[in-house]
Amino acid sequence: MNIWERMEKIDRRWIYLLVAIAVIIPFIIPVRFPVSVTPETKDIYDYIQAMPDSSVVILSFDYYPSTLAETQPMAIAAMNQFFRKDMKVITLSNIPLGGPSLAELVTREVAKEYHKVYGIDYVNLGYKANYVAVLKGMGTSIESIFPTDNSGTPLKDLPLMHKVKNYSDVKFIFDIADNATADYWVSIVNAGYGVPMAVGATAVMAPKLYAYVGAKQIVGLLGGMKGAAEYEILLNKRASAFRGMDVQSLVHFLIIALVILGNVGYFAGRRYRRKAGL
Amino acid sequence: MKTLAPVAIAFISGIILVVSFFFNESTTFVGGLSEEILVWVTIVGGFTLLLGVVSITRVNLAAVRARKENWVYRLITLISIFAMAIPSVFPSSWSPLFGRQTGSIYDWLFVTMDMPMMATMFATLSFYIASAAYRAFRARNAEATLLLVTAVLVMLWRVPIGEAFLNLFPGHIPQLINEYVMNGVNLAVQRGIIIGAALGAAAMSLRIILGIERTYMGRG
Repeated sequence: MNIWERMEKIDRRWIYLLVAIAVIIPFIIPVRFPVSVTPETKDIYDYIQAMPDSSVVILSFDYYPSTLAETQPMAIAAMNQFFRKDMKVITLSNIPLGGPSLAELVTREVAKEYHKVYGIDYVNLGYKANYVAVLKGMGTSIESIFPTDNSGTPLKDLPLMHKVKNYSDVKFIFDIADNATADYWVSIVNAGYGVPMAVGATAVMAPKLYAYVGAKQIVGLLGGMKGAAEYEILLNKRASAFRGMDVQSLVHFLIIALVILGNVGYFAGRRYRRKAGL
Repeated sequence: MKTLAPVAIAFISGIILVVSFFFNESTTFVGGLSEEILVWVTIVGGFTLLLGVVSITRVNLAAVRARKENWVYRLITLISIFAMAIPSVFPSSWSPLFGRQTGSIYDWLFVTMDMPMMATMFATLSFYIASAAYRAFRARNAEATLLLVTAVLVMLWRVPIGEAFLNLFPGHIPQLINEYVMNGVNLAVQRGIIIGAALGAAAMSLRIILGIERTYMGRG
């Protein structure tokens, strides 16, 4: 095997080792590269900042624990901005596996920091099956779909829910999603009831959602960990997404280097074989 | 009757929900009816989850009893399901360990086991993606080269060090990528896909409502 063939056929175990090193090194030696803010993120931040204080907002935790690294920082950052503006936050989830627990985890942690009280400043509605029916049904009556909150307390016992009957009482919706629920929020709730909304999505999902940004159906978009890091910078609260950018930078560079290496090996090898008459 | 009843239910429910779109939901009879149907749908949805639990229990229990291949993993599946489900369905008023609140058994299992395991499974994808990108991204022809160059530029744009690298060159490349690649070419293509999918979904819904499409009943 000549050098070109070696470059073209690196054993996958070496690649795994290089990825592992690229992931570990930034944790030991943090670099903290400067992160620039894209207009899609800035638009979300500015829109929420311009909203009246104490507005009622919905934060939907539509992500599975598998994508925590990308999505959880978005949810934490959004809760921070909402509570800084003294907004009343209703959380819910359209996915059965972990959504309500993640909402519980994030809201309680951030609420503690801002001394917010459950039932008055925020409520976790939990999960109900069949998200199309849930999103549509909440347009008429939230209580008919969620008679109780996540822990079984009737909504009539929660002061915040006294003034929130349906979407007409909600000023803004922020959906953090790693699946197609974001499309349903846009097509059912934004299109049907006119509630302004924003989406935070995984990097894989983000390209599709640019169509909604272009159509002004969502005010902005957080795309992957970079989007979350940008949001953290705007909030002046650099946390896990910002720290994660070092890892992502190095791994992206590694992948690009591997792609270049593979292509150099491919073309040089092809030329070599042609010359050698193979 | 086995065919007629589901078709009739699908037809009536579908028509009511379509018609209610044109009526005020809170003041008209049709609106009220659609609201009622949506509540029913969420209840039926809850039962389908229960059906899933029953089904997975029956299949795995039979395999464990028969000592089929990998029966130990099936046993672990069953134990995992019920270890999380049983304590979570009892009310927290009985014990702080029940329910789904912080400090409950369910919460402890979720935070300490479920979350890290799922995140780990997903994280391993980065290894496969790196290996797959190295093997698959070859500039074999014009289309593949275009895809490769675009992918590399977007990958650079999405990380701070890559953005700093692109800014070494004149012409505000990061802004151009955002404007022309993501909000230009990508947006146009995604919009086409979304419109196509929506038309397909509308056509499929119409087929179900009219009873033409019956595969959801388990037969053609």
